[in-house]
Amino acid sequence: MSKNRTHVIGKSGWRRTLGAAVVSAIYFFPVYYILMTAFKTRPDALAMPIKFLFTPTMDNFYSVFVRADIQGGGGTDSGFSHYFFNSLFIGGTSVTLALIMGTAAAYGFSRFPLRGNDTYLFIILTTRMLPPIIAIIPIFVLFRVFGLSGSYTGIIALYTAFNLPFSIWMAKSFFDDLDRDIEDAARMDGSSEWRVFRKICLPQVYGGLAATFVFAVILTWNEFLFALMLTGTETRTVPVAIARTIGGQVGVDWGLMSAIETLFIIPVVLVTFVLQNQLLRGVTFGTIRK
Amino acid sequence: MQLTISDVFKRFGSIEALRGVNFDAEPGEFFALLGPSGAGKTTLLRIIAGIEQADRGRVLLDGRDVADIPVRARDTAMVFQTFALYPHLSTFENLAYPLREARIGSNEVKKRVGEIAEMLRLSHALSRKPGTLSGGEQQRCAIGRALIRRPRLLLLDEPLTNLDAKLRHDTRAEFKRLHRELRDTTIIYATPDQLEALSMGRRIGVLREGRIVQIGAPQRLYTEPLDEFVASLVGDPPINLIAATLADVGGNRTLQLPFVDIDAAPWEATLSQYPSGARFMVGVRPQAIAPAADAGEAAPGPEFPARVFLTEPLGDVTILNIVAGADQRLKMVLPQERAYGIAKDASFDCTLRNDEICLFAQETGMAIRRNWASPTT
Ligand SMILES: Nc1ncnc2c1ncn2[C@@H]1O[C@H](COP(=O)(O)OP(=O)(O)OP(=O)(O)O)[C@@H](O)[C@H]1O
Ligand SMILES: [Mg+2]
Repeated sequence: MSKNRTHVIGKSGWRRTLGAAVVSAIYFFPVYYILMTAFKTRPDALAMPIKFLFTPTMDNFYSVFVRADIQGGGGTDSGFSHYFFNSLFIGGTSVTLALIMGTAAAYGFSRFPLRGNDTYLFIILTTRMLPPIIAIIPIFVLFRVFGLSGSYTGIIALYTAFNLPFSIWMAKSFFDDLDRDIEDAARMDGSSEWRVFRKICLPQVYGGLAATFVFAVILTWNEFLFALMLTGTETRTVPVAIARTIGGQVGVDWGLMSAIETLFIIPVVLVTFVLQNQLLRGVTFGTIRK
Repeated sequence: MQLTISDVFKRFGSIEALRGVNFDAEPGEFFALLGPSGAGKTTLLRIIAGIEQADRGRVLLDGRDVADIPVRARDTAMVFQTFALYPHLSTFENLAYPLREARIGSNEVKKRVGEIAEMLRLSHALSRKPGTLSGGEQQRCAIGRALIRRPRLLLLDEPLTNLDAKLRHDTRAEFKRLHRELRDTTIIYATPDQLEALSMGRRIGVLREGRIVQIGAPQRLYTEPLDEFVASLVGDPPINLIAATLADVGGNRTLQLPFVDIDAAPWEATLSQYPSGARFMVGVRPQAIAPAADAGEAAPGPEFPARVFLTEPLGDVTILNIVAGADQRLKMVLPQERAYGIAKDASFDCTLRNDEICLFAQETGMAIRRNWASPTT
């Protein structure tokens, strides 16, 4: 297992490595462009051809959080620190909830199948087949009726429901792949059903769950439509706030936009980085002899 | 622990995995379950372990139905065919798992894991995950995890299949030693390998398509197989099976093989019910065929000409594939020094050792008893 891994990652020839580097560079370029623009002054950002050499400035990052007063003087809080908090709090909570519920449900579907198990699973998936633009109408009405519009509860509940089918399907596939003899061995070793789940099955799928967590975080983090319709000033998330920034009085401030986006990318990068070992395990899932 | 299996049936959909299995194992007995792939060995062990439910029949441990005994109190451990090690735990934690589940203190756990690792030569690998262990180490880890609780019933499902020849040999000896040490631990050992079954089992139950066809001591299975199936499963190289016809030759009942006639007298007590012309299968062990020149005066059997068409030297012995008579292929075994110089196309006369011949009815494959055969198994 570990032998294979070092081989796959470390020992390819120079030509392949170079090829991969070129492809990655192409993929990475938009991100790099944003990073660069975030540190440019306004004239530099607008300069054509693209300026690759320039004197970096932190001004854009400053203005993300503080809106300059036209009259001069101090400036007011742009509210972005609050929006970042919202995105983190809403995204983190809903994905975690979805993953916990999804894992439990998936274990049930996998180990204690119901009559018509597959039908249930299919129905669960159908909730994700509607384009959000259509689903939004009844949901909007529902939120109005129950007074959930603009509340944390509402948007967290929605995102949890939104991530649940994906979590269930992913987690179920991980549980299905496990070797049942291992669980039987644990039963013989004296484990209760709960401990079989907690001590034997769950740890084996951590990698897969971590991968699922990252995907769900990215989806939720970037979600725009529901957030636009269902959050208020208090619960506004970053994507919505970005959209509102675009419509400024003085045209699009590319530097500012890029600074926001740079900050916006950081949490996703961090999560992926922290979980990268787990992710690798998730991808190379099921390497133990069956 | 005393184990009783009575009339156990199990089906999976349309497959009847077990169809009425009965046997007992005495406390401390080493009982081997011998059967080819798909015979139902794993299914039977899983039912004994209580992780699979029989459709019908009962499994009793010391007279109590397994179904009524909670898992913890069963004192049963199993080595799975697939090892079933916990892939996310280190070797140490794998070995410790049964103890931890039994809430044994961590000092005691450390001590016992140390002992068992020492015994199974796993001490160097304690901190590693099963995925990084060699096949043999994984197997030993699985065995260690089963032994560490000092079970009173130990179920082994083909525990040696993944070892190389030498390690297999060593571990076989290890199992025998272990069995002596764990005095009242009953061991049920499932294997498709007759050599393992013969060398370790005090008794062997031969499993065929979900039924036990014969239970007996190794020697008994070898010399008095109850049917063709057992005869061809036990012994290496496999027994020669030759079609024969019962005939009356000048008042003497005779079995006519394609290349030689043999006297039917040793079976006459049973054969008397068969008319002349009845067809049989004669089983001759490769070890029971010898060059006529070697037979000496003692018990010379019928002689026949043979021609060698293939030799398989195995070091200590050589297997000769010979053609007897016109076209009957047979295998025979000679000690290496005797086989020296015998090459392809060599011709010589051979004899059959009469008292080592088995006889089976052709239709049913059931053994025809010798006159002196002991009454039951
Ligand atoms: N869970 C199951 N579902 C369906 N069929 C099964 C199942 N378990 C076993 N069988 C079938 O029951 C029969 C006996 O299987 P079993 O695994 O007990 O054989 P075995 O003697 O252990 O063979 P091997 O030496 O190959 O391990 C086989 O025909 C097998 O296909
Ligand atoms: Mg098996």
